[in-house]
Parts: sequence; C-alpha cells; structure tokens
Amino acid sequence: MLEVLNVTKRFGGLVALKNVSLKIERGERVAIVGPNGSGKTTLFNVINGVYKPDEGRVLFEGVDITDLPAYRRAHLGIARAFQIPRPFPNITVRESAAIGALFGSYYGRIGVREALEIADEKLKLVNLYDKRFELTGRLTVPELKLLELARALASKPKLLLLDEIVAGMPPAMVDHLMLLVRRVADEEGIAIATLVEHVMRAVVRFADRVIVLHLGSKILEGGPEEVLRNPLMEEIYLGRRWSP
Amino acid sequence: MTLSRTHILALLTLYAIILGLRILVEVVGPLGPITGQLLTLLAFYIALGQAFNIFLGMTGYVDFGYVAFMALGMYGMASGVVRAYEAGLPGYYGIVFGLIQTITLTSLLALIVGGIALRLRGAYFAIATISVNEGLRYLVEGLDIWEGSRGLIVSGPLIRLFGSEGFSLLATIISDIMVFSVALLALVISIVFLNTRIGYALKAIREDEDAARVMGVNTTMYKVLAFTTSGILGGLLGAAWSFKVASIYPPDAFNILYTIEAIILVMLGGAGTLAGPIVSGTLYGSLKYFLAGILPGFQLLVFAPILVAVIVVAPEGIVGALRAYIPATRRFIA
Amino acid sequence: MADITSILPYYIISGLLVGSIYGLATIGLTLIFGVLRVVNVGHGAYIMIGMYVTFWLFTLYSLNPFITLIPAFLVGLALGMLLFYVALKRLLRAPELSTLISTFGFGVILEELAKVLWGADYRGFVYSLGSLYFQGIPLPLVRVWPAVIALGLVIALYVLLYRTRLGVAVRAVTQDPEGAMVCGVDVERVYFLTVALGIGLTTASGALLAIYFQQGINPYIGHLYTLRAFVIAVLGGLGSPIGAFIGGLIVGVIEQASVPLFTMLGAPNPFGLSVFLTFTLILVILLLRPQGLLGR
Repeated sequence: MLEVLNVTKRFGGLVALKNVSLKIERGERVAIVGPNGSGKTTLFNVINGVYKPDEGRVLFEGVDITDLPAYRRAHLGIARAFQIPRPFPNITVRESAAIGALFGSYYGRIGVREALEIADEKLKLVNLYDKRFELTGRLTVPELKLLELARALASKPKLLLLDEIVAGMPPAMVDHLMLLVRRVADEEGIAIATLVEHVMRAVVRFADRVIVLHLGSKILEGGPEEVLRNPLMEEIYLGRRWSP
Repeated sequence: MTLSRTHILALLTLYAIILGLRILVEVVGPLGPITGQLLTLLAFYIALGQAFNIFLGMTGYVDFGYVAFMALGMYGMASGVVRAYEAGLPGYYGIVFGLIQTITLTSLLALIVGGIALRLRGAYFAIATISVNEGLRYLVEGLDIWEGSRGLIVSGPLIRLFGSEGFSLLATIISDIMVFSVALLALVISIVFLNTRIGYALKAIREDEDAARVMGVNTTMYKVLAFTTSGILGGLLGAAWSFKVASIYPPDAFNILYTIEAIILVMLGGAGTLAGPIVSGTLYGSLKYFLAGILPGFQLLVFAPILVAVIVVAPEGIVGALRAYIPATRRFIA
Repeated sequence: MADITSILPYYIISGLLVGSIYGLATIGLTLIFGVLRVVNVGHGAYIMIGMYVTFWLFTLYSLNPFITLIPAFLVGLALGMLLFYVALKRLLRAPELSTLISTFGFGVILEELAKVLWGADYRGFVYSLGSLYFQGIPLPLVRVWPAVIALGLVIALYVLLYRTRLGVAVRAVTQDPEGAMVCGVDVERVYFLTVALGIGLTTASGALLAIYFQQGINPYIGHLYTLRAFVIAVLGGLGSPIGAFIGGLIVGVIEQASVPLFTMLGAPNPFGLSVFLTFTLILVILLLRPQGLLGR
C-alpha cells in the first residue's frame, strides 16, 4: 500500500536519509526502530509530506504522491499522531477530534454534524468522552496522547503513522494503548507504522515486522524476534540494554 | 461545535434591537441617553469587530493594515458617486458603481496581499501588512490618485445627485442601515463559517498551522478565504461610512486608528467568538460616545491599557473567558 | 542629466548622514527580535518619546540638545524595563499574536499619554551650529554630528556585544535560548536587559532625530519611524544589529536620492512616491529573501 523508493533527504550537508526503501502492506503493523538521530522522524515527515525528498519517490496505493502537499495526503488516508501531542489548546476536545474527521479520508464527504458524531465515537473508544467539552489545553499529557490517537482514528486512515506515542507514558497504560490500537487497526484494516527509539517488549509483541534505521540508512528488516537477536542491534545501541 | 439555534437567535435579536432603536430614534427623536449618534457608533464598531474577527479572530494572524480595506471601500464608493455625477447619471448608478468598485478593489487587494503575505508567518506577516497599508497610502498621494493629498470631495456631488434632503438622509439613517447590513452580513458569514468545515479549518490554523496541514487542512486556501472575506467586509464598511464624510484624504482614510480599534474590538470581545464583537462593540462604542462629551479623544487612553491587560491576563477575551471558566457556556455560546 | 549627476553626491552624503541615525533607530527593534523573537510593533512610540525629551529639555531648560541624549537614553531604559515587566514577561511562551498586540498596545498607550500631556500639535525648535561645506554645498553640523554620534553608539554596542560577558550571553541566547540556559545563562535576565537596552538606544536615536530634523514633533510621528525601522530591519535581516545599521544607510540614501529623481521625472508628489518605493522594497525582500539582503 505504501512504497518508499530509494528516498534520500539532506539538510544542508547532513544526510538524514540515505537511499531508504520500504513497503507497508494493508493492515500491516511495522515498527521503525532506531536510536536518536537515525532518521526515523525525517522518514515520517517524508511519508506524510512535511518534507519533500531530494531523491526517490513515495507511492501510496500505487499512486506517486511525492509531490503532493501534506494536506492532500491526509485526504488520501495517511494520518499522523505526534510524539509530542500538538494540542489545539483553546478549542474543546470534541472539536479537536472532529477536525481529524473533517479533514481526513472523509474529506468533502461529511459535514460538521457527522464529524462530531465520529469524534464522539472515537473519544468513547479512548475513554475521553466525558471530557469532550473540556478545553484541550487542560488535558494531562497522557490524556493528550489519547486525544491525539482519537483524532488520528477519527480521520479513518488507511495508514496511521504513530510517532513515539508511548514514550513517557506509564507502562500499564502503554500495554492498554497498544492493545487498543491493535484492536482498532485489525477491525478497520489500518496499516500502522510506529516509531520506536528503544525496543520494548510491548512493541515487539505489537509489530509484524521491524525495520531498523541507523544514521539514515536501513540496516535491518525482519520479524521482531529475528531482528532482536541480530548482533548488529547491540552495536547500534552501543551495548545499551533494551528493557526486558 | 454546531451553534445552538437559541444562541444564533439571541444574537440576531440583539442586532434587531439596535437596528430597531436606530429607526425609532430617527422617527421619534432621542430616547434619553440613546441618540442616533450613539447607535451609529455601536453599529460601526460592532460591524468593524465582526468583520475583522473573521480574519484576526479566526486565524490568529494580525493584519496591521486592515484599514487599507476600509480606505479602498471609502474611495471605491466615493469615486463611483463622483464619476456618476460627472457623467450626468442618476445617483443610484453611482452607488451601484461604487459598490462594484469597492468589491473589486478590496478583493484584488486581498488576493494580491493574501497570495504574497500569507506565505509569511507571524512577525513577518505583520510587517508586510503594515507596509502594504502605508505603501498604498503613499501611492495614492504620490501618483495623485483620487485627487491625492488634495482630498476627494464627496459631499458636493452627493448633494447635487440626491438633493440636500436626500443627502442628509444618506449621511445619517441610510448609511447607518448600510453599516448595519455589513455587521449583519459579517455575523451571518461568521455563523456559516463556524458551522461548517471552514470554521474548523481556521481554528486548527490558529492553534497550530503545521499540525493543521498534516491533518489535512489546506492552510493557504482557508487563510486566503478568511482574509478576502474579512477584507471585502471591511471595504463595504468603508463604503457605507463614506457617505458621512465631506471629503476623503489619504491620511484619514488610511489612519491606523481604525486598525487599532479593530484589534481592540476583536481581542476584548474574544478572538474567534461569535458574540465577542457585539459585546466589545457595544462597550467601546458607548464609551467613545460618552467620553466624547467629557474627555474627547480619550477612548484610546482607556482602551489601550485594557487591551494590554486583556492580552496578558485573559487573552481569550470576555466571551472566551466565559467559555473557559464556565464550562456550561461552552455548549451554547460560541 | 548633468543636473542630477552634480547634485547626486550631495544627496548621497545627506542620505548616509540620516541613514546612520535610521540605523541606530532600528537596532533596538532588531536586537529585541533577535533575542526574544518579539517584534515591537510600537517601536516608533519610543522614538517619539526620545524626541520629546530633547524638545522639552532644550525648550524649557536650554539644555544642549546633545546632552539630552543621556536623559533620553535613561528614559528609554526605564520604559524598556516597564515594557518587559508589563507586556512581555508573561507572554514569552504565548503565541506570537500576543506579543504583537501587547507591544502594539503599549506603544499606543505612550502615544495617547503624549497626546494628553503635550497636545497633538506639531512642535519644533531651532538650534544651529553652523555648517561644513562639501563641494560648495553646506552640510549643517546639526546633521553631521548626530550621524557621527549614532555611528559611535553603534560601535559601542558592537563592543558590548562582542567584548563583554553580557554580550556573549546575549548572542548565545540569540543563537539558541535553550542551549544558553543549559550553559548557565540567566535567560530571563538577558531578555530584560536586551529590552531595556534596545528601548534605550531607540529613545536615544529619537533625541538625535530631533536634533537632525528639529521640526514636526508630535505624538504620532513614531508611526513613520516604525515603518521605516521595519523596512530597514528586514533589509538587514531581522535580528541582525549590524545588518540594521547597513540597512539604515541604504534606506537613507534611497530616500534622499529618490526624491530629486522623482521630481525630475515629473511625479506629482515625489516625497509620497519615495516612501511608496521603500515600502514596496520591503514586500519584495520579504518575498524573495525573508532572511534579509544581508542575512545568512
């Protein structure tokens, strides 16, 4: 469904992505793993159109979207949930989620009323329904992450890009969140790409496939267990032990 | 949020009351402290706030050159009337022609400036808009457009076209009703915006433009839409107001005072809220009116500190604060 | 054509003279933007205050106008501190709209106060020191000295920025506030001092402008200077003090030289067109090179 073909992205003299190619199939869950500075976030930004690659193409459902602006990609069904939630502090939780629905893959086909219904539905799913009239700026950080997820889901994505959404969340909540995402994704056939800095068991259990980026290049790809056992991993993380 | 019917009805009723009072005063004379002049001021400031709110309030971009739209409206209408007079055409031709000129000029300005300056963010946008306003003013003076700094005389042609009776009606009640129509039009457009995708797009842009784009909002298109709408409304307001001035001089027409007032009106009432401009327009207009008797020209000395205080202490404005601190109001006040 | 080539050097020189003060009058704006990322939309109001300080001290107490530079600077320092505590301190993390409006509002307050205290009429004074002669054309010393002093103040600022601890801190915060904080710089203090110093230099430039022009001082005279400062700051790269000074010289020359040029071309209002030209310049620069002609 998503194909990234030989993408290179430079910032001045710095090469953030070097000839990276990858594929994500419909309904698949892929974890993109790499230490800080490995190019993960740049890869996401190239996929959803924040950056244009210097070389290479991005294809979505067989269509070349390399030159499409970010907002058009959202209409096609690529949604992103940011690592640091980007709340709209002065509007209500319900309106925030409705923005996801209005400008996602439903774009142009639903009105405000339907968008609010979809927003309510997704807010129930992440347990924020009771706070739907609260101003977004008043939510706690974990709540914001839930809202971020609800908003992404409200856009009815075909591909959901999850920035390190679990970072900084209590472990019990991480498990809950990952299960939730997994269930929704299975029900609706959403493909998920998630960024992971440290390989955690929850992620390993979550992903069908793991792609490892290091210094802008793809160096490993395979099933989670297989990748974890690869000696290269230890080298990349310089002996850093991943959490059990 | 879909706006509740009651809320919309309440606002429309308020508008109807002010308009009704204006007409009543015209017929029976002043009702105590409520005079025609007071109601004229209220209508003007409500209209100004409501029109500017569509851009400043809904997008969070500060257009320090907003008065340029009003100036083009004044000049558009006045030069239309003057041209009709010179061509020996009846007066209403001049007004229709003036309206067409106003809309053409303001949309052109909005599209040109919007297309260029809206690619810039915050500070750079603010600087660009101030420059456009001053640049236009000095262009009018420098190239002697519309009689340049000698001033475009409107009252003469108006009196000859409509007679002195007709002119005095035009300068008072008729232009007031026009001002009122602009306020109403701006209100209706705000309601439509807030109730549709457009309003949500603008809110997302105001809160976080980059995130909005990633979420699927065509930010450029919606910004230009809000800018143009707000600009044309400003132009129409200027056009309606032009009947009240004897001649138009560039320094008056492009006076930054109107921009200052527009900013105060939007921020005081609550940026992006529907009811905000009515609240702040009424407050500002009445204070200006009542101060005029005691301390003429002091209203800015009162309101500028209030503006700073609002930004520092309660940037959400009066209506915004209601929504923030009294959760129940969030369901029905927008 | 012989006409214009013979008078052009004069206009260029007087452009450089006034441009030097324009440069100083912009440095406060650009310094504050560089360090705090705040555009002081009320910038011109402080120039107006500086002009009034000179006007009143000269008119009431016959103080040498050049001496009034010191009280003008001190008044600016005080106003800068006030501006920081009232209108900026609590808004540093707020959306850009907030500081745009609060600085704007603060400027309006100063203008309205000036109007209430001193009236809206144009005021002026006469102070002369004789003239220098350049190729037979007189250059009044009251135009030469302010330009020289402005240059001196800019050099002093340069020394402050590049040779003192405070200067290093200011430049560090300009580059990277978080990094500077980690390195032990008291960022808020740097903000505070920058605003005070920036406004102080601005009022000082107002005093010099008053000596240069001597007429037409009124509460709203700052507007034109706000706009001119915007043009210059953008030209030199918003945030770059040295760029602002060079930009000031350029704008001074353009303004002075374009007036005779437009007159020759038979424009109905050459002054108006020359101002229009500067504002068109700003849009073109913002469009093509928002980092400024002299920016990186």
